[in-house]
Amino acid sequence: MAAQPKPLPTESASYLRGGGLLGWLETVDHKRIAVLYGASALVFMVIGGIEAMLIRVQLWSPGNGFLSAAVYNQIFTMHGTTMIFLVVMPLELGAFGNFLIPLHIGARDVAFPRINALSYWLFLTGAIFLHLGWLWGGLPNAGWFGYANLTERYFSPGLNLDYWVVGLLILGVSTVLGGLNFFVTIVMMRARGMTYMRMPMFAWAILVSSVLILIAFPPLTVGLIFLLMDRFFGTHFYVVAYGATPILWQHLFWLFGHPEVYVMALPAFGMISEIVPVFARKPLFGYPMMAYSLSLIAFLSYGVWGHHMFATGMGPVADSAFAITSMLIAIPTGIKIFSWIATVWGGSLRMTAAFYFALGMILEFTIGGLSGVMHASAPVDLQQTDSYFVVAHFHYVLFGGAMFAIIGAVYYWWPKITGRMLDERLGKLQFWLTVIGFNGTFFPMHFLGLWGMPRRIYTYGAGLGWTDLNRLETVAAFILGLAFLVMYVNLVRSAAAGAEAPADPWDGRTLEWSIASPPPSYNFARMSEVRGRDAFWVQKYGRAGSRGVAMFMAGQAPPAPESERAAPAQPVHMPAPSIFPLMIALGAGVMGAGLIIGWWRLIMIGAGAAILAAIGIGFEYPAWGEEPRDPESAAPGGVDVRKVGVWAFLGSECVFFASLISTYIVYKSRNAGGPGASILEIPLTSFSTFVLLMSSLLMVLALAATQRGDRVWERIWLVGVAVFGLVFLGGQAYEFTRFYREGLALQTDLFGQSFYTLVGFHGAHVAIGVLWLSVLAVAAFTGKLGKSRALSVELAGLYWHFVDVVWIVIFTLVYLMQQVTVA
Amino acid sequence: MTPLARRTIRRASGFLASRTMTAEPFARMNRLAAAAPLMAAALALAGCAASEPPMTTLAPKSDLAQWIYDLMVEVTAWDALIFLIVVVAFTLAVFFFSTRVGEAAPPSSVASDLALEAAWTIGPALVVLMISIPTVRTIFRSQPPVPPAGSLEVKVIAHQWWWEFHYAGSGIATANELHIPVGRPIRLALQSADVIHSFWVPQLGGKRDVVPGQINELTLAARVAGTYVGQCAEFCGLSHANMRLRVIVESPEQFALWAKLQQAAPTALSAANAAASDGARIFANSPCTTCHRIDGVSKGALAPDLTHFASRTTLAAGILPNTPESVARWIANPGAVKPGAQMPPLGLGANQVSDLAAYLESLK
Amino acid sequence: MSEAIGTVAASTEQAGREAHRAHPGAAVYVIVAVFLAALTAMELTVFYVSALKAVLVPVLLILAAAKFAMVAMFYMHLRYDSWLLSGVLIFPLIIAALLLISLLLLFAYLAHHIG
Repeated sequence: MAAQPKPLPTESASYLRGGGLLGWLETVDHKRIAVLYGASALVFMVIGGIEAMLIRVQLWSPGNGFLSAAVYNQIFTMHGTTMIFLVVMPLELGAFGNFLIPLHIGARDVAFPRINALSYWLFLTGAIFLHLGWLWGGLPNAGWFGYANLTERYFSPGLNLDYWVVGLLILGVSTVLGGLNFFVTIVMMRARGMTYMRMPMFAWAILVSSVLILIAFPPLTVGLIFLLMDRFFGTHFYVVAYGATPILWQHLFWLFGHPEVYVMALPAFGMISEIVPVFARKPLFGYPMMAYSLSLIAFLSYGVWGHHMFATGMGPVADSAFAITSMLIAIPTGIKIFSWIATVWGGSLRMTAAFYFALGMILEFTIGGLSGVMHASAPVDLQQTDSYFVVAHFHYVLFGGAMFAIIGAVYYWWPKITGRMLDERLGKLQFWLTVIGFNGTFFPMHFLGLWGMPRRIYTYGAGLGWTDLNRLETVAAFILGLAFLVMYVNLVRSAAAGAEAPADPWDGRTLEWSIASPPPSYNFARMSEVRGRDAFWVQKYGRAGSRGVAMFMAGQAPPAPESERAAPAQPVHMPAPSIFPLMIALGAGVMGAGLIIGWWRLIMIGAGAAILAAIGIGFEYPAWGEEPRDPESAAPGGVDVRKVGVWAFLGSECVFFASLISTYIVYKSRNAGGPGASILEIPLTSFSTFVLLMSSLLMVLALAATQRGDRVWERIWLVGVAVFGLVFLGGQAYEFTRFYREGLALQTDLFGQSFYTLVGFHGAHVAIGVLWLSVLAVAAFTGKLGKSRALSVELAGLYWHFVDVVWIVIFTLVYLMQQVTVA
Repeated sequence: MTPLARRTIRRASGFLASRTMTAEPFARMNRLAAAAPLMAAALALAGCAASEPPMTTLAPKSDLAQWIYDLMVEVTAWDALIFLIVVVAFTLAVFFFSTRVGEAAPPSSVASDLALEAAWTIGPALVVLMISIPTVRTIFRSQPPVPPAGSLEVKVIAHQWWWEFHYAGSGIATANELHIPVGRPIRLALQSADVIHSFWVPQLGGKRDVVPGQINELTLAARVAGTYVGQCAEFCGLSHANMRLRVIVESPEQFALWAKLQQAAPTALSAANAAASDGARIFANSPCTTCHRIDGVSKGALAPDLTHFASRTTLAAGILPNTPESVARWIANPGAVKPGAQMPPLGLGANQVSDLAAYLESLK
Repeated sequence: MSEAIGTVAASTEQAGREAHRAHPGAAVYVIVAVFLAALTAMELTVFYVSALKAVLVPVLLILAAAKFAMVAMFYMHLRYDSWLLSGVLIFPLIIAALLLISLLLLFAYLAHHIG
């Protein structure tokens, strides 16, 4: 099971070759995973595009009967959900992010290749759940942001939203794991000399997006969990009759939703920052400010979510605060637009298809950004939100911004990924059709919105003045569809019989162009020292690029990349393939199916399979604590990659628990005349708290024993921690049972369900910790643990202490502050 | 003058000549992209100049709508200025101040310019400041904590998929059509009976969501008499598209007259109107009474109050005109007109349906 | 060129040395455990003694924060580890705290002004 060093290849074999179908199912190669994501997204793009066409046909005339209301509501929901979660995100992060990041920073793969594969298979599982409605039960139909309380079973009784909740939860886990992976990879696996300020801007964009993912998805997870519990377990988190407020969903959703749109915008910005300098033959203008503006945009984006809720009545103070923060975001965004134009200024332009799309993106995104400034002004937003004006706005930023960038990226990186060139003339034809079709479809929507046309309506009245523009948009949409057809023709023709691509077709500036097209599975044969920003350009032309200018003047072609043909000098250590990620995703799928069908055994089976496969991955690690390091990489010394990964995960968990705790505090006084928080018993819980605190002591003693090679005490302390954990869980079980007998069931009132959910999730974390420790204890008793594998104990310890720390917060805020109320 | 500027101007004069001769496909694209908004603006103006769309936000008819409109114009002006700067800079960069591959001059490698970067950071920051001040002022002005003196208070209850109105103090209850006097502050207290809706009459102001479990407020004073169309603006289920409303703004005298008629008992049936009398009998003996209220006849509270049904201009929440044919069509099969409508078809014969319609049309 | 390499290499080596410099012994761990127990006892005191009700919230928050910090710094080794790891925890922690406070403020408004 341990990975063996790969034999030296006699020639650079492309990563695409070899292994058969099984090879693709068990791959952990970031480039293959990128191709899986990309191919899947291209399929979903067709589906989402057809859904858009159906919408436009239905809106051709007032009172049109092409689609019924019921079908239309499913189609517009799926169009949005598909484009966001199954097209833009997987293309930007899953495909281009995965393929390029290790290449951009000079690494052989991402930090956690097996988790990378898991992210993909979970993505596919979630995508399948979202589309199961085609077969049976109906597709999700409450809009891509599914506002409660319309999503309660009472108002939406069908399977539609069951698929939606399960699909989104699985997709959420997939994305968070991906964000974690990218974050640790970029922080820890940059090559020697690749400082942050020398990284390609795309790497910066992915780094910042990863941080956003880690802190933005937890509120969505919590909101979806509440909805799931309402729909399946009879709770009332969003049921007004029990004192709940549907506004809770909106806050949780948009705390995720707004950073999410920046997760879609920032990688697009990164792509433009890569493409423009290459085709202008100039370095990116204002690199430091570009990096800082990415970070500032991300940070601010976490503070603007209320601008989606200006109409909900948050009060003038909140309205003003959110309006101001939303306007502030325009400043760093403007810096980027101007910097790109300044990059073009004075350059030597090569008008390729990729460059066309990048230039188009700059103008189109500006339009979208400016209509966004209008939305930021809250009173103006009250006329524009929920109308076709906002539909125009977000299509300009998401299509004009992200999609234009993605198409440009396809034209730019396709040669590297596939080893074939795309047809430039078809690309330019696609560009013109896209510009005409896109602007023709979406610019008039600004006016429809200003003329009062609300969004998400399956039909509209005659005599409202909307018919003509709707017709124009439908015609333009077909032109846009034609543009995409041209692209697919181009892709297929290239894949089948396109011209072979050289390693460096564009005279690129970054490291991916220094290796073959397509690259070998091990990426770099020899990793040279990174000597500056635009590392490959410096390799070719020297520091000041003066050689490059002289060669350009003399009309010479760029020099061939130095390491193109060379085989690796020493054995390359590559992560071994694994079938366990696929198994975990299958387990998750079975769990989801079991929940929807209502068959508990299926949930148990799925969970069991997933847990066993996860343990399997754990045992696949070559030699815990002894992971051989690639001698050519230069991760920051003294810190292990897996430790950073665990800390990043714990950071995300902070936001997860904060969302649960916030809900508890808001809902705790809605106890429908029941005992409420005074039912909480301090003496018993104090004892449990003490036990958990002491278990942390035992945990550090276990680690200390392991680190000094004391096998006896290592076993004793590990078992001790697990036992203390079980005692804690026993106390929780006793407490829950007592409350239940006193009349506080899960469904009784909002206090009860918020309490049980918060404390229950903490308990689940403890249970997972006990399981983890048990596995370690078994390893210790069978002699497989020991000093060389102390890191495994340390990682388990970090998790365990975190669970303890969360309990400290819960004990204080829930138990000791039981008499304190906020609302 | 910075080296960049000097080099730029030197090359500009050299390039301008060649540029005007060259047919650059990209020039066409850029002109198209820049022209598109202008073309669309012309379209819009044409639309405005002709009959104004009934739900336009660009022809404010109340104080609230006017404040929002003024703010929107201000923000749009700043937006237009920034867009102009970006388009001009972009055009100059792509067409005039760069070379094409194969041409004589080498590319520069200028990658920073402190003055420039400061300018395009501080400039937008100032614009943000300029926009945020009137924004905050308008926010507070449009959300008075207490109703202005002399306000007419109306309770609005949103349902899937119709609007219920109760006038405070006078006991007037109606549906889907709101009458208000011009010039007097109106305070709408918005509540929902089921899911989240949004009350939006664009000519009278911005929208306000109607959220179950809380009471949201919308305050406005209409300035111009007329009939204004509104629509629910928050996706609320199957017939979200079919949840419209009308607001009739009239002089205080006309409003007082309307109010008096609404408070009066339903119009007595004349013996001559046989169909209506039959219809009244059918109504009283049918499940209609479970949901609908007609003063003196039935006490249903789940559906629109029909006491003065004939005084309204539309039915089914604004999607059908209030004519006997439409009423008959609605009664015969509500679900066909409004998917998901909670009113069931009663399985009545065509004669009975038209009698019912006649009865309802007599309720002025 | 070379100074850039030198700086990166030197700083990583230094970080590595720092990480292994300090390593608390069992005594430190036990003392921390005693502190945790003592702080918990103080919390219980504030809870049970009704005279202290006015300061309940600030005192509990401070004591909880202190326990949190002690576990993080000593048991989770942050005091002896690279600053990177502290940053990876502290940034989301700040976000989590801001989230909590914002939501409480927003819902407080909702309850008192609209209800």
